[in-house]
Amino acid sequence: MSENLTKLAHKIDFTKDQCDGKNYTSTEGDKASEDESTGTPFQPSLWPWDSVRTKLKMALTEVSVLQDVLNITKQKHYMVLDTVSAEAPEARTGLHLYAKKRTLSLASSVLLNGAERLRRSQEASSKKIVPDFHQELLRVRQTWRLKKVGDTILGDLSYKSAGSRFMQNGTFEVTKSDVDPIDLLDSPNAPSHSQSPLQISVPSELEGVVYIQVVIKRLSDSTDLASAELSLPRRSVPSDTYWQHKLEAAQNAIFCKERSSPRSADSLLRRLFTWLLQLSREAIQVKAKIPHLVIGNQIFSHLFPGVQLSVALCHSTDKDKRMTQGSPSPSKHDPVLEHSLHQLLRETHFKNIYHPLPHPVTGIVGVSKRRCLAGPHAFTYSDMVELSCSESLLDRILKQARHTVVHQWAIKVVDELARSIQDPQISAHWGNISSPLESSIKVNITTPFVLHILTDGMRAVCKDGRVIDLSWEPQHLRDLILSQIAQHHIISVQNLSKMMGWPVLSVNTHLGIGDVEPVCNALAIMLASPNGTRVLSIRSGPVSRVRVGLQRYPRRSAPVTSSFDGDGTPPSDIITDPKWQNLGSAFMRVDMDKIEGRNFVNKIEILMASLTTE
Amino acid sequence: MSQQRTLPQSKEALLKSYQKRLKDDIKSMVDNYTEIMKLAKIEGESQVSRPMHAEQDQYEMEVRAANIVRAGESLMKLVSHIKQFLILNDFPSVNDSIAHTVHRLHNTQKDCDTKLMVLRDEMSAHLFELEEEYYSSGYK
Repeated sequence: MSENLTKLAHKIDFTKDQCDGKNYTSTEGDKASEDESTGTPFQPSLWPWDSVRTKLKMALTEVSVLQDVLNITKQKHYMVLDTVSAEAPEARTGLHLYAKKRTLSLASSVLLNGAERLRRSQEASSKKIVPDFHQELLRVRQTWRLKKVGDTILGDLSYKSAGSRFMQNGTFEVTKSDVDPIDLLDSPNAPSHSQSPLQISVPSELEGVVYIQVVIKRLSDSTDLASAELSLPRRSVPSDTYWQHKLEAAQNAIFCKERSSPRSADSLLRRLFTWLLQLSREAIQVKAKIPHLVIGNQIFSHLFPGVQLSVALCHSTDKDKRMTQGSPSPSKHDPVLEHSLHQLLRETHFKNIYHPLPHPVTGIVGVSKRRCLAGPHAFTYSDMVELSCSESLLDRILKQARHTVVHQWAIKVVDELARSIQDPQISAHWGNISSPLESSIKVNITTPFVLHILTDGMRAVCKDGRVIDLSWEPQHLRDLILSQIAQHHIISVQNLSKMMGWPVLSVNTHLGIGDVEPVCNALAIMLASPNGTRVLSIRSGPVSRVRVGLQRYPRRSAPVTSSFDGDGTPPSDIITDPKWQNLGSAFMRVDMDKIEGRNFVNKIEILMASLTTE
Repeated sequence: MSQQRTLPQSKEALLKSYQKRLKDDIKSMVDNYTEIMKLAKIEGESQVSRPMHAEQDQYEMEVRAANIVRAGESLMKLVSHIKQFLILNDFPSVNDSIAHTVHRLHNTQKDCDTKLMVLRDEMSAHLFELEEEYYSSGYK
């Protein structure tokens, strides 16, 4: 009973109109469904009228509030009730329209401003007043390696792709400059370089001017024999674009532009570093008689006794460069050495990339072609050892440097001798084809001999087929040329004798008698006059030069000129038989200076002619 | 030859994101425009007072207009990004340009070589005569 009462009490809905008789006609089944739809589970309460009480209480509160409001409005002290005007909407339509119009115009102005910005930027790029960032980027891309990492565009300066094994990451960053193209459009007189929409930033350690200096020095007086600076060549035509300058500077290390803050950096530095590192590594490894010294960025090495080679890395920043620009470098610049060193480096890089074909998939990369053939050709162990020992870079540089030094000395010796010795005219012709390690010179002293200048010495190939190996000492070459001159005198007299009809009594190319020459041996020739009454003896030594003696038949008491062996022998009182007069007398020396003639051969010719007719 | 190469995963994703950005931006433009049009309509009575309503409309329209502009700018940026992507990843054209440069440099090299050879021959001929002259002259 009480349960049913509670259920019914719940059913009382105070918000609904109680007069509506719908609820009373509902059946028992409807009630059940309503129970489910309301979803309020049946809660047995202690007091069945609980919900009804709560609702009545709320109604009381509302009525109290209503009464309060009515009291307050009645007093008109705190609140005034106003009548709602019905005609307001019609009166304010214009205002409303105006407000909408204003709002729309404001929105349209925002849109127009945005459109104007876009239009102007389009215009700027289409009119080509401002170089487009992307066009510039494309041009950079065509020349440099770029990639995008996150939001930044990074470029690569290193020579990895060119075959350098030096793995320093030389990256530069390409950024869009902050210059607004629209601003530039307004001010077309802006300086040209600032118009570039690209900005390149390179690492600070790559800034500056870098080159490798190779200097060959004589230790005694520390004079430079040759020097070479290795850096990339300057561009003959400077390009207009800023970034190109910068990157080229970055690779060249030389190009400093007079920009507000030009940053010239180089990856040459890296390349040179590679080189230097490799060199210094080799310098330590290579066991030389005099060990190579590696101090800081410099490598010292002895080429010949008293001649030193130094390979140094010079790195100067832009400011230093400007300071030193005024003073020319005192060292003797050798472009040939520089060029050949460049070639050497390029060759090394080339070899790193291009390996001889074919590459077996399973084989080691970079094996020389000969070694690939080692198997099929059944090379011996010694052959393989020979193949495996490769020349280090430093060795090759040393060789080139040695060649340069020997070359210079050869030039010096030949020129000095040509200048000092007038009689046989010495002329030299330099071979126009040469390699960094070999060059040749043809020295003409009537009979030419070819002098090959190698790295550690020289090799002379004479006309008669003799091959003489000389060391690097310039004195040796000097001696050789002097002996060739001495030989030349004798040979020319020999040839002359045939023409003049003087029979040759004896020729001795290595004279065992007489004064000992400090260098080589003296040569001698003896000639008889056609009628046999005169004998000419000519001795030619490399140092003692030419001496001519004359012997007469029959003996004459008075000498023609001064005696050859001191005094002439006076006629003897004991030997009176005239037949003894036909014995050869002592040789008398002929003073060649007093004989007319332009040169030695000419003088001998005149002498012979006069003796023949006498 | 199939022009469509298989792109790496990241590139594929990047291209997809570009497409998405394009669609998003265009959608944002259209949506904002439609909203502005809707706001332009004079509505009936509402709870909020007129001036306040007008003010609200104004702000909303401005923001929506700015949104359209932003979407436009974003499209421009997208274009620039796509350009950048193309420039940085267009390897065939880069290869073409490299080949072109190589060809040009080869030609220059050949040209220089022939010129140098001619120069060398001439020089050596002259040098021979000059050497002859020098060594036989008195002024050494």
